[in-house]
Amino acid sequence: MRPRAPAHPWLMLAPTLLAFGLFVFLPLALTARASLQSWDMLTEPEWVGAANYGALMEGGELWRVLGRTLGFSVIVVVGAMSFGLGLAVLVDRPGRVFAFVRGSVFSAYVVSWVAVALLWVWLLDPDAGAVAAIFRAVGLPRVGFLTDPRAALVTVACVAVWKITGYAMIVFLAGLRAIPASLREAAALDGASGWQTFRHVVWPMLRPTAAFVATTSLITSFQAFDVVRIMTQGGPARATTLFVYAIYEQIFLNLSVGKASALAVVFFVVLSLLAALQLRAWRSRGGEPA
Amino acid sequence: MLGEAGCRRAERDSQGRVRLRLWHSLGGRPRAALLEIVRRFHEREPGVRVEAVYQGDYFEALAKLRTAVAAGAAPALSHVVAEVLPYLARANALEPLGGYDGLGELDLVPALAQSGAFRGGAERPLYAVPLNRSTPLMYCNGALLREAGLAPPETWDELASHAKALTRSGSRWGFEVPIAWWFWVAMVGQAGGAVFDAEGRATLGGDAGAEAIAFWQRLIHRDRVMRPPPGRDYDAWNVTNQDFLSGRAAMIWTSTAFLRYLEDNAKFPVVAAPLPAKVKRSVPTGGTLFVVMRAAPAIEREAAAKFLRFFCETDQVTLLSQRTGYLPITRAAVARMEGEGFFASHANDAIAQRQLADVEPWPWEPKLFRIQRDIVNPRLEQAVLLDRDARGLLDEARRAAARPS
Amino acid sequence: MIGSRAKARVAMALGLVAAAVWVLPYAWMTLTSLKPLSEITQDPTAPLPRAPTLDAYREVFGTIPVFRYLGVTLLMALSIGVLQIVLALPAGYALAKLRFVGRKTAFGLVVACLLVPPQVTFVSVFFMFSRVGLVNTFAALVVPFAASAFGTFLVRQALVAVPDELIEAARLDGASEPVIVYRILAPLLTPTLVGMFLVSFVFHYSDYFWPLVMTTDDTVRTLPLGVALLKEPGSGVRWHVVMAGNVILSAPVLALFAVAQRHLVRGLAGRA
Repeated sequence: MRPRAPAHPWLMLAPTLLAFGLFVFLPLALTARASLQSWDMLTEPEWVGAANYGALMEGGELWRVLGRTLGFSVIVVVGAMSFGLGLAVLVDRPGRVFAFVRGSVFSAYVVSWVAVALLWVWLLDPDAGAVAAIFRAVGLPRVGFLTDPRAALVTVACVAVWKITGYAMIVFLAGLRAIPASLREAAALDGASGWQTFRHVVWPMLRPTAAFVATTSLITSFQAFDVVRIMTQGGPARATTLFVYAIYEQIFLNLSVGKASALAVVFFVVLSLLAALQLRAWRSRGGEPA
Repeated sequence: MLGEAGCRRAERDSQGRVRLRLWHSLGGRPRAALLEIVRRFHEREPGVRVEAVYQGDYFEALAKLRTAVAAGAAPALSHVVAEVLPYLARANALEPLGGYDGLGELDLVPALAQSGAFRGGAERPLYAVPLNRSTPLMYCNGALLREAGLAPPETWDELASHAKALTRSGSRWGFEVPIAWWFWVAMVGQAGGAVFDAEGRATLGGDAGAEAIAFWQRLIHRDRVMRPPPGRDYDAWNVTNQDFLSGRAAMIWTSTAFLRYLEDNAKFPVVAAPLPAKVKRSVPTGGTLFVVMRAAPAIEREAAAKFLRFFCETDQVTLLSQRTGYLPITRAAVARMEGEGFFASHANDAIAQRQLADVEPWPWEPKLFRIQRDIVNPRLEQAVLLDRDARGLLDEARRAAARPS
Repeated sequence: MIGSRAKARVAMALGLVAAAVWVLPYAWMTLTSLKPLSEITQDPTAPLPRAPTLDAYREVFGTIPVFRYLGVTLLMALSIGVLQIVLALPAGYALAKLRFVGRKTAFGLVVACLLVPPQVTFVSVFFMFSRVGLVNTFAALVVPFAASAFGTFLVRQALVAVPDELIEAARLDGASEPVIVYRILAPLLTPTLVGMFLVSFVFHYSDYFWPLVMTTDDTVRTLPLGVALLKEPGSGVRWHVVMAGNVILSAPVLALFAVAQRHLVRGLAGRA
């Protein structure tokens, strides 16, 4: 349609574009600039060129953070998707019981990360926690879930899986319900087993949904911060220092705005790559995301 | 509606009292003591209203303080760990206090005040007044010691052999201490080293630095008699205290600050002892000092100075000390506690008090805090928990320390 | 067919196991919050409190100003949700319905914003706000989220499906553009807008990161921050108090969830 006046579209877009300009594009540019400075917020900033990036690369810290974050994301995405899909198939049935199960699993999605993290620190306490009590009761060894450098990252990832599986489940449910019942019935009439129907009829139609869940939960997990800050503060021995926590740590704990900004720039580049993957996934559904 | 909170903050409340913001990091007993002191202060100074805000542990609170200074929203009064004082002073964030009525001539215990807690601290303008000051202290489970026929260890070797004797695999550790800068600094001193040399280079203790780490590694990985408590910062300290109280750790090192708490909650006699020696005895000081932020309005800074003067009166000093185990910060308070027989009836407090003779002052180095948080602490965890090469990691740390931030 | 009933039973059993995995932790949180400190320290894993008490809740209310923090949090989440709708409607309308030079670019800019999370921009936004004295204000919590890339996007997609004739007719009736956007089109989009609002509300109510970095003291402290601060250093974590804080923090959103689960699901799944 033609706008009534040429200025109308821009007037309507103005508040949105202004907000994005102020809170997205300008900060992005400022962050890129700050990444080339050494600044502690209190004394004068100094230009240092690429020294911040150099310092991050030295000793491989940047790669370790990146690898850790990717590892964390893989566990979260794979875990949330498998459980989410399994549960979606399981609870896609009529009845109050299944409605209750759906509600229970999904409820973790609305509870804040703070509450979830605090709750699990308590549950996982190696001595006083309920999980430890269950482990003792069934004769499993004592595990320092959050205290053993080898276990902590997996533990935090499992908590994140617990938190977002409900999200994956309801998106898969929506996908399942969009599949015409007639297709499944036709497969059943042809004598296909439940598994065959799922494999050859349901799954192909769910693939775009799966791609959507995968990319959104990948990006969510990449931005994980609250769980780390509350459960482990990045420890033990930096085992859970994920990307966003590393940015936070540089600026607010180590006084280094420059290094924090350099990390943020790298984080942005990595996220853009992930988002490109997301766009490809959307395209493969033959449509725009909606 | 959106803008209203952004307006300038009122300096006085609706009743005309000066609003004195006090950001603190105290929980539990120390908080209760501080709030009691604030209550007393309100009685004395009806014209000032102290607005005490809890800001998380020392390091969270410091992050908030620094960002508030950067944002021009700093409170007049806060308190910081000693290690960051030189940095904040150099960054021009702190108000010199010598000119305020009565603050220049406070009768402070030198080892706990700026004058003695820092090398050359007396020659600098007065930036800080001690709030809750402590040193590391060893706490032993008296029942277990008696059962094993042992006295508290005097040397590292004795610590190791006692820990071995007191360990029961699977149920009890002989020794536990948070893997943290503060205790490492104590051990560096005990092994005859220093974190900075006289020229201000960050030597990180040289051989003594590596020896300290190696001792921990031995106790944890070879002898298996020490539990490195999980968590970072004060989480680890909490765990250490809990393990001691529940009998899962026979000897611990933690702050004198927990003396009263541990005594009151232990179901066994708590026996305090000075930290053991390697080549000598040595402890750093810990806890925090009050600072007044330069950026706060003059009227609020004036009120802050009044509060500090009140805080250093003997009644307040003894209250905080006797209720917590933090060391009394004025000589008058020490004398009164002595005179009233407090140290005679509280043997553990007396030991903490005597250990002040072993205090090693901090260097006045703006880099000190960054070296603690950014450079040494993460490497200590790596070296100790993952049993990595201590010398290599310290070399790397020295290189990082030599770089401009 | 053999076992279709057995299969249903297995499904029911598995479903209940799943529900237990999610519900039992909340139950544990609530039970812990009802225990006195002595039970927490002496027998932390006893299933039921021997002498249930509300002491922990009393302590939470005594330690932090719960209602003030809750008020700030609710008002913040509400303001953000409303502003996002108010801004997204005209922007989405322009992008979906109006033809003009630069539309593709404008749309591209909106999509690009989907890629930039607050974790990338917060350092600079903090200093921008500090320069104008807005750090630690309500504005700093709300304004950066006033425009939502996702929201704009959703509104645009929903409006594409609205027939042009409707707008033409409204124009002929003399309706101004704001009237068309807010009075005629907005009601048609109610399901989209409600879903969008709920997703935004739940997210910002629970948000920890942004309030953590944008506030310096408790003037505009939000409830998640306050509850996280209940874990004090020093004398052992008092888990009954922390769990009581958790219950207080979670109850409002769980109540909202119970009432509006359907809309929330649509808001989330509608994006897929």
